[in-house]
Amino acid sequence: MVAFYGVKARRGRAALTSIGIGIGIAAIVAVTGISASGRADLLATLESLGTNLIKASPQAGFFGTQENLPDGVLGMVERIGPVQEVTSTTQTDLLVRRTDFISEFEGGGISTLVTRSELLDVVGGKLTEGRFINDALSDIPVTVLGSVTATRLGIRDLSIPTKILIENEWFGVVGILDELKIHPDLDRSVFIGYGVAKTLFNIDEEPTTIYVRSNPAYIEDVVEVLAPSMNPENPDQVSVSRPSDALEAQEAAEVAFTNLLLGLGSVALLVGGVAIANVMVMSVLERRMEIGVRRSIGATRKEIRYQFLLESVLLSGVGGLVGVLLGAGITLGYTEYSNIVFSIPILQVLGAIVLALLIGALSGVYPAIKASKIQPAEAVRK
Amino acid sequence: MKSKTKTVISLNNISKIYEGPPPVKAVDQISLDIKEGDLVSIVGESGSGKSTLLNMIGLLDSTTEGHIEIEGQDTSTLSDDQLSKFRGEKIGFIFQSFFLLPGLTAQENVAEGLLYQGIKREERLKRAAKVLKEVGLGDRLTHLPEELSGGQQQRVAIARALVQNPAFVLADEPTGNLDKESGDNILKILKELNKQGKTVIMITHNQNHAKKFKKVVKLVDGKIVA
Repeated sequence: MVAFYGVKARRGRAALTSIGIGIGIAAIVAVTGISASGRADLLATLESLGTNLIKASPQAGFFGTQENLPDGVLGMVERIGPVQEVTSTTQTDLLVRRTDFISEFEGGGISTLVTRSELLDVVGGKLTEGRFINDALSDIPVTVLGSVTATRLGIRDLSIPTKILIENEWFGVVGILDELKIHPDLDRSVFIGYGVAKTLFNIDEEPTTIYVRSNPAYIEDVVEVLAPSMNPENPDQVSVSRPSDALEAQEAAEVAFTNLLLGLGSVALLVGGVAIANVMVMSVLERRMEIGVRRSIGATRKEIRYQFLLESVLLSGVGGLVGVLLGAGITLGYTEYSNIVFSIPILQVLGAIVLALLIGALSGVYPAIKASKIQPAEAVRK
Repeated sequence: MKSKTKTVISLNNISKIYEGPPPVKAVDQISLDIKEGDLVSIVGESGSGKSTLLNMIGLLDSTTEGHIEIEGQDTSTLSDDQLSKFRGEKIGFIFQSFFLLPGLTAQENVAEGLLYQGIKREERLKRAAKVLKEVGLGDRLTHLPEELSGGQQQRVAIARALVQNPAFVLADEPTGNLDKESGDNILKILKELNKQGKTVIMITHNQNHAKKFKKVVKLVDGKIVA
């Protein structure tokens, strides 16, 4: 194809000219790829955790005070038909420290939650180390750490017996939770059983948060009846939420950022297109002799026009292709680094290539017309 | 030999005026008949209108006044596309500065001469190799222009002009950039082509070369004086 000639004969310039388009396409592919990978990871997370988990807690009081739920609330919730599992935690203000060398005023933002053995199953949690609180451990001073808590306390594993201080009592650490993506509050907590909470700190079994697993088909119905069931007199004092909603909201916020980056990628594409048009115009001026020779051996104006137009499309096409590979590479690197699922939307990649070709065609129109208008006699003039 | 006397190119009172300011009359009311198989040299000082006249004969440029008939066809009635087709099929051009395309081998450069005839690449390359052998460059097929001497480059350009087997060969000072020996070789090739029946028209500054042509047209200020 005659359009290859201009690219082949000036490889260095062709490569430099294609860079702009390459960068633009790479940016677009990487942004959409990373965004799609994040979304794929979110979907995988939601799928593994389920969207049928509901969290209910009392509304904070007028002065931000923590209110308790009514007695027997677990039983009330269990009676709702589609509810499959239910458990609770009780928020305390017990101070957590690594050792007694740490001041009582430096708690490190760690909460102590009193809970039951079912919590792990209901919230879909996993342990990286040890075991969770169970009936046998409920009465003895042992604790399980959330993932952020473990990091903050500098406890990586339990290969040697480890203890922490809760208030002024030593608790043996028997387990560490893996990160719970939709429960950041649990990641920053330590868990103890109701038995030991009563014995050592006189804390009663008064839930402050209820976790409910529902039949997914009736999730909306359960959300609707949960507050009135928990507190029939004052249902508006119960706050009901689906933790998966938070992730979806976070994803929606990221879309805006993605659009901004896409905008920047488009600017790079536009600049790349202008660069191609510029180089092609210069190329036409430099290649008058070639145009003259081609006209003398029988090329029509149309054929000259097509040659320069296709050359421009070729330049941007090559740039686009390199950009796609570069963008895919960046996405792959990011997903490997962030340990999330690699995903590139094929339709958008194809769209990016088509966009590159379109920009090439648009950039080539003016130079191509200019080339075709050169009179053959002028072009071969000495 | 009746066919040898047939007029194949007829210039009918042609002029070329370049719009100024000021307007310049490069060719001034020239009438000339060129017979089939003629070997014509056009001589004259720089600026006398030689190249303009040759470009008009080769349909690379249009006339301002008058018209040109080639093989009985009034070329002023042809469209731009028809003129391109006519050039591609009937006329072979040789330029002083060779005008080979950089980045293409000798064979590819010659094959370009058939690019717009709708001939497949393989066939184009095959024919190019054949013509290059005929001009003595059979061992230089894969050489790039910059790897060839001036004389060799001009022979590649001649091969490009001949590859579509044109009836007319128009050469604009083909020996102007060559040493004496290379120039003489080129002239020999052109005379040989003429012997094979092609009509050859050549611009030259070289009086010795001009003398070797059957017909000499001398231009002064755009007019034929001899």
